Amino acid sequence: MSDPSSINGGIVLAMAGKDCVAIASDLRLGNQSLGVSNNFEKISNFGHVFLGITGLASDVITLNQVFRYKTNIYKLKEDRPIEPETFTQLVSTTLYEKRFGPYFVGPVVAGINSKTGKPYIAGFDLIGCVDEAKDFIVSGTASDQLFGMCESLYEPNLEADDLFETISQALLNAADRDALSGWGAVVYIIKKDKVIKRNLKMRQD
Amino acid sequence: MDILLGIKVKGSVILATSKAVTRGISVLKADDDKTRQLTPYSIMGFTGEAGDTVHFSEYIQANMKLYSTRENHDLPVGSVASFVRLELAKSLRSRKPFQVNVLIGGVDTKKGDESESVSPHLYQIDYLGTQVELPYAAHGYAGFYTFSLLDHHYRPDMSLDEGLALLKQCIAELEKRMPMDFKGVFVKVVDKDGVRTLEDF
Amino acid sequence: MSGYDRALSIFSPDGHIFQVEYAMEAVKRGTCTVGVKGTDCVVLGCERRSTLKLQDPRITPSKIAKIDDHVVLSFAGLNADSRILIEKARVEAQSHRLTLEDPVTIEYMTRYIAGIQQKYTQSGGVRPFGVSTLIAGFDGPRDTVPRLYMTEPSGIYSSWSAQTIGRNSKTVREFLEKNYDPKEPPATVDECIKLTVKALLEVVQTGAKNIEITLVKPGDKIEILTVDQINTVVQEIEDEKVAAK
Repeated sequence: MSDPSSINGGIVLAMAGKDCVAIASDLRLGNQSLGVSNNFEKISNFGHVFLGITGLASDVITLNQVFRYKTNIYKLKEDRPIEPETFTQLVSTTLYEKRFGPYFVGPVVAGINSKTGKPYIAGFDLIGCVDEAKDFIVSGTASDQLFGMCESLYEPNLEADDLFETISQALLNAADRDALSGWGAVVYIIKKDKVIKRNLKMRQD
Repeated sequence: MDILLGIKVKGSVILATSKAVTRGISVLKADDDKTRQLTPYSIMGFTGEAGDTVHFSEYIQANMKLYSTRENHDLPVGSVASFVRLELAKSLRSRKPFQVNVLIGGVDTKKGDESESVSPHLYQIDYLGTQVELPYAAHGYAGFYTFSLLDHHYRPDMSLDEGLALLKQCIAELEKRMPMDFKGVFVKVVDKDGVRTLEDF
Repeated sequence: MSGYDRALSIFSPDGHIFQVEYAMEAVKRGTCTVGVKGTDCVVLGCERRSTLKLQDPRITPSKIAKIDDHVVLSFAGLNADSRILIEKARVEAQSHRLTLEDPVTIEYMTRYIAGIQQKYTQSGGVRPFGVSTLIAGFDGPRDTVPRLYMTEPSGIYSSWSAQTIGRNSKTVREFLEKNYDPKEPPATVDECIKLTVKALLEVVQTGAKNIEITLVKPGDKIEILTVDQINTVVQEIEDEKVAAK
């Protein structure tokens, strides 16, 4: 109880496929056991880079605003949108700046490098330690369940449609085993020059 | 615990706050208004630690007033809520954070169009700086008793009268099930005509 | 010169602080502003620089600024300097409400602004404000006594029945001294506005479109007159002039 990173609940999951990546999250925001909102999006995009954040909802909002500001400045200075790899470093340093009074979050980055076309996903701990994975990244109050689902469902080089099916099933079944996650879900399938957003139907308890 | 309820209906927002001020086992005041008007078209209801609540809301009130004298127009409700959230989020990591939870209700008026086309908004923000826009909202224990009623009866296209009828149901439930006498509620409505208190609720 | 005007906070041997006196020169060159107290209102009027052909008149700021619900301020001198004073005054007005639960009195606001101006004559690395201000209003929403004050770059402040500052203010002051009887101030709002416009017309040739008028009445009522409203008054005055001949 009163652990900041599990007051509001919520999960984010990212997966890499063949020339595509996917990032998904639930939509619940709660106060301990009480559900407050079923419309709390945890994923946003800065150009072609996607960022999902779990943890303390206040910090999720704050960091979203911080990264909106920083990527806008980046774009003005560099005259191009930020790439996933660069953004990952930006997230890392931003979090580590608050090393001794951290944001209680678990961010996840997903995107495709616009120059190389390489799918890219990365995760972080609350003080900015980067976890670059080639398969999947999990985060949030049902991270254990997500690990279990991903370990058994994931396979490399999935096509976009299969990746969607895999990430959706992993997210849904993990959320259903966590009292603090669920209440709707959203999935982004990201290809080189196309992004599809889908809302998932799921149990509402 | 104080009661703070908000319902968004078609063209307006309703806010209800309990009248009692309690300290320990005593009721110190039975006609306390736990709301402050922030702009001509928005109000904030608040609960939380004794001194913090009034100080914080009047601080916000002063800032909104300052904004309108500087810029010669008022902030829209969404921007008011963002400002309040930022203040609470900043305060959370200060030496002594404000322990204040708020509901902000208001309508955005289209300039030059004084007719019915106002869009109502209701924001819930807690002392951590967690902000959500909701169709109906509560802080404290009130939510536990009333959300089931609201979940069941609420429709987004409700009229003000229907909204008030639903609020009456909620208050009746609270009076029945709450262990403490909260001395009734003040009911405020924000719509195209601004903010008003409903005297005969 | 003698070197005594190089640094701000240095007296000349005969007791002058030259920088402050130069600031007062800047005020004298600023556009003219008039303040007139009526029996139950105060009026501020000023000459507005005519907008250039390609300038956007909508966003060119007014020379009469609202400080709070019941206080207005006008100035003569450096436009940019005045903005600093106006900003500080507005913050103080809200801060005062927040801490004392009461709106500022006009005298308090005058003292506050004059205090800032004085500070800038005695600290290092700064120059004085090239601004004189007229501050008008009522002490809160229930007070019915009109108030009018003036501040100067030195930090001096004073209370007036009618006052004018800026370019040609000498002419206007002479006019006011002739036409304003402190024992019998303008009885109505209309008379008060008329006297203000009359005073301004002494030095503004171009008429209504270069005049700004703001009226303050008890109960937090601040009215900015439209060009049409001012035009009506100007017309009235001119008609009277013709009739007198």
